[in-house]
Amino acid sequence: MSRPIKHVVIVLLVCFTALFVQLNRIQFYGAQGLIDNPANTRTIQRDFNRPRGQIITRDDVVVAVSEPTPGGFFDAQRRYPQGDLYAHVAGYTSFTFGAQGVEREYNDALIGRTATQELSGLTDLLDGTNPIGNVRLTIRHDLQLLARDGLAGQRGSVVALDPATGEILAMYSNPTFDPNRIADNDGSLANEAWTELATAEDNPLLERTYREIFFPGSTFKVVTAAAGLDDDLVSMIAPEFVVVDSYLPPLTERPISNFGGSSCGGNLVELLVVSCNSGFAELGAEIVGPSAMIETAEGFGFNQTPPIDLPLPEASRFPSDFGALVSEGTPEIPAGVFENTPALAQSAIGQNDVSASPLQMALVAAAVVNGGRVPIPHVLAAVEDAESGRVVSDFDEGTWTTAMSAGTAELLTGAMVEVVERGTAQNLAIGGLTVGGKTGTAQLGTDPPRSHAWIIGFAGRPGERAEIAVAVLVEGQEGSSEQTGGRVAAPIARSILERFFQ
Amino acid sequence: MKARTVELGLLVIALLTTCVGYVLVVLAQRVEVGAELLGQLQAEVGGFMAIVVILLLAAHVVVRLLAPLADGLLLPLAALLNGLGYVMIARLDEGLAASQSAWTFIGLGAFSATLLVLPDPKRLEPYRYTLALIGVGLLMLPLVPGLGVEINGARIWLRAGPFSIQPGEFAKIVFAGFLAGYLADKRELLTTGNRRVGPLTIPDARHFGPLLAALGGALMVMIAQRDLGSSLLLFTLFVVMFYVATARVAYVLIGLIAFSTGAYVSWRLFSHVQRRVDIWLDPFADPKGAGFQIAEASFAMADGGLTGTGLGQGTPEKVPFAATDMIFAAFGEELGLLGATAILVTFLFFVGAGLRVALNARSPFEQLLAAGLTALLGFQAFIIIGGILRVLPLTGVTLPFVSYGGSSLISNYIILAILVRISHNSVVGRAEELEELENRDDSQLPFSVRSSWKAVNA
Repeated sequence: MSRPIKHVVIVLLVCFTALFVQLNRIQFYGAQGLIDNPANTRTIQRDFNRPRGQIITRDDVVVAVSEPTPGGFFDAQRRYPQGDLYAHVAGYTSFTFGAQGVEREYNDALIGRTATQELSGLTDLLDGTNPIGNVRLTIRHDLQLLARDGLAGQRGSVVALDPATGEILAMYSNPTFDPNRIADNDGSLANEAWTELATAEDNPLLERTYREIFFPGSTFKVVTAAAGLDDDLVSMIAPEFVVVDSYLPPLTERPISNFGGSSCGGNLVELLVVSCNSGFAELGAEIVGPSAMIETAEGFGFNQTPPIDLPLPEASRFPSDFGALVSEGTPEIPAGVFENTPALAQSAIGQNDVSASPLQMALVAAAVVNGGRVPIPHVLAAVEDAESGRVVSDFDEGTWTTAMSAGTAELLTGAMVEVVERGTAQNLAIGGLTVGGKTGTAQLGTDPPRSHAWIIGFAGRPGERAEIAVAVLVEGQEGSSEQTGGRVAAPIARSILERFFQ
Repeated sequence: MKARTVELGLLVIALLTTCVGYVLVVLAQRVEVGAELLGQLQAEVGGFMAIVVILLLAAHVVVRLLAPLADGLLLPLAALLNGLGYVMIARLDEGLAASQSAWTFIGLGAFSATLLVLPDPKRLEPYRYTLALIGVGLLMLPLVPGLGVEINGARIWLRAGPFSIQPGEFAKIVFAGFLAGYLADKRELLTTGNRRVGPLTIPDARHFGPLLAALGGALMVMIAQRDLGSSLLLFTLFVVMFYVATARVAYVLIGLIAFSTGAYVSWRLFSHVQRRVDIWLDPFADPKGAGFQIAEASFAMADGGLTGTGLGQGTPEKVPFAATDMIFAAFGEELGLLGATAILVTFLFFVGAGLRVALNARSPFEQLLAAGLTALLGFQAFIIIGGILRVLPLTGVTLPFVSYGGSSLISNYIILAILVRISHNSVVGRAEELEELENRDDSQLPFSVRSSWKAVNA
């Protein structure tokens, strides 16, 4: 029986080798993936009792602070003095539910665990102090308050940022929640709050500004215009689009109508000023064509995850394929006809399969006034040592992606200023400032007619570069006229732009 | 070197490792609970720790007295596993640690008693059918109303005062005894066979009958009790012993086919089996619900990384059943890939030592018994570690010698005692043979035999 016994040895050896291999996968090769798994709350929980720095706005308003709880089960209770105002930026940290927002993204800095902090802390080892960091946000408290007041409880989002640096100046969305409830050290209270919020139909936990995407509607026409201008397919004055009340793309019986049956046409500036659906649909489908549209949309950041310094951002979407070529380009249809050219016509006016986060649309406005470059958006101004206030590290600013040439950007800047001066975005105008913008009304349904009201825009002192770009989305408005964006969203954006320069 | 000297040396190393681990746990808790509570902890659990160390040294003395020529590796390996398990249990829950030292005491008592009352395991051979009956009886005890209790969904426990006993743990040993006896008797028949069925030659059904009845009965009971782990283990024991006895791969294949069919049928029939399989395939689909235990175990081990968080520095208590079924995950977290691998290697050494005992055993019965019992421990470790590591669906069995649990610890020490006993007897048997040979003509013997004889006499 010695041979079979030796075989048993071999079988067990194989079994244990399998265990060893899998052990390596879990503890070594795959460990990082498991640590990053969203369901893994171990790191957060382990860090929970370490001293934790504050989160403060650029104008010194405290957003998050740890208050000692002598005699409590935990050493401190995290508090959010501003309540729901920063819930979707600062997030929360909870023993049970982990962390989100800045609390999650900059956890290491807050508890003093970044490499820089640990190095600087080496000298403090002897006296036992812990170099925890305060996180200073780029957000201005006054603009953040205006965003909340402007939305006045309506479902929607506001994003304002510096077009050159990508610093986010305001970022707010409704519905929101009070992070104090989730962060409560009393587990049963926290649990109750979590259950309520996580099951709420309007999903208040969701950061709609950068983690949700919507039909951008006519605000997307800025991208279509950039695509046409950038490849010299059109100029600001030529061609002149025929004045029509609807446009019928090739290969379909379904025309694209202008709002309320109105007629429009003319050169690119005119199309933009009145937000002409028929003209932009034709421009995108027949003149620009699939590859240039995709290239430009992706140049603006579509189909890529934004490199914002907040957890789990959602990529905005533009179709990446419009099917095979059906017929070659002709003088009438220079881009040629593709299987999905009708969808391309819809996409060119921000409908169909196009969807964008409010953050992405703010970045579209930013690129226009930033020489065509899309900045890396960020909420971190600096990590400061909690003791000394000295800056430990700041955000490495830069360009995320290049959307168009500087020349195209300049032309579009002028066109968007005209939209404010005499077009659909007149509600955005502010005396003494150069303001540009583009409205959008993304239709959601016709019975009853509902739509998302959008505005994107920018403002600067006359003759100087724009210093702020903004996107406002008010969701699910009744009615679907092209005026909706200008009427509903523009005043909110305007108040923020105006306040910025005061 | 003499086997007992080796054993003592290794035992001291194992116990030192255990003590160092224990000191680390106490030091880590100093930070957490403050000095006052710590003094209490040291006094209470430290005392139990000392008991565990003294008991394991006492076991060495018992072996010296009752089985002086036995293999010197088995006891130190078991002591290392038991000691490390104790440290981890003390780290997780002082209350459990106190009972675990009581169980260690009873376990080593059972170890000594087994060595004492079973001077020759071959004597069990004629009682094979009695053993089969006892085994089925033990398994069925928890089903008797009033005696058995259901804990965590499986009705495999007897409630006796403050303790719960799992008779199935002992049934496994008894079944190994039955199979060894039965197969030692019938192996010739089973190997050759006398009937052709297709390409196979199989023996008469009457030779198979009792075996299949015992196995079928046992499996039925276990399935009724929803004890998937033990059913799997018993089945593995059966296949391994059958193969060792007959050396016929065909039986293994038939076993595997039968197992696959059975597994498929129970997967179709039982929702609790389906759930286990779903969790196994993707524990992260519902990491806060059904997959919680496995997902948390993986997260814990990922946290441990290469070298672990250090004893007492992690949060292994987050994994449900950390001290019993999931204790390997706790080692993975706090001792890292290196520590977890050391435990795997310790089990492999134990399996190696146990199967070497089987190879050297003097009678087919002892060979089969030693091989079966060793495979039982080895595969039990594989089934539970594999379950934790997502190599297999998780089925709740203990990690031998390491997990918290009285029945398991006691039965493992009985297995250890039987292996030690068989090992001692085989050396004695060989010595007697050699003595006979030596009386004839020493120079005719091959050198290796002479030297081993000298080693025995030295």
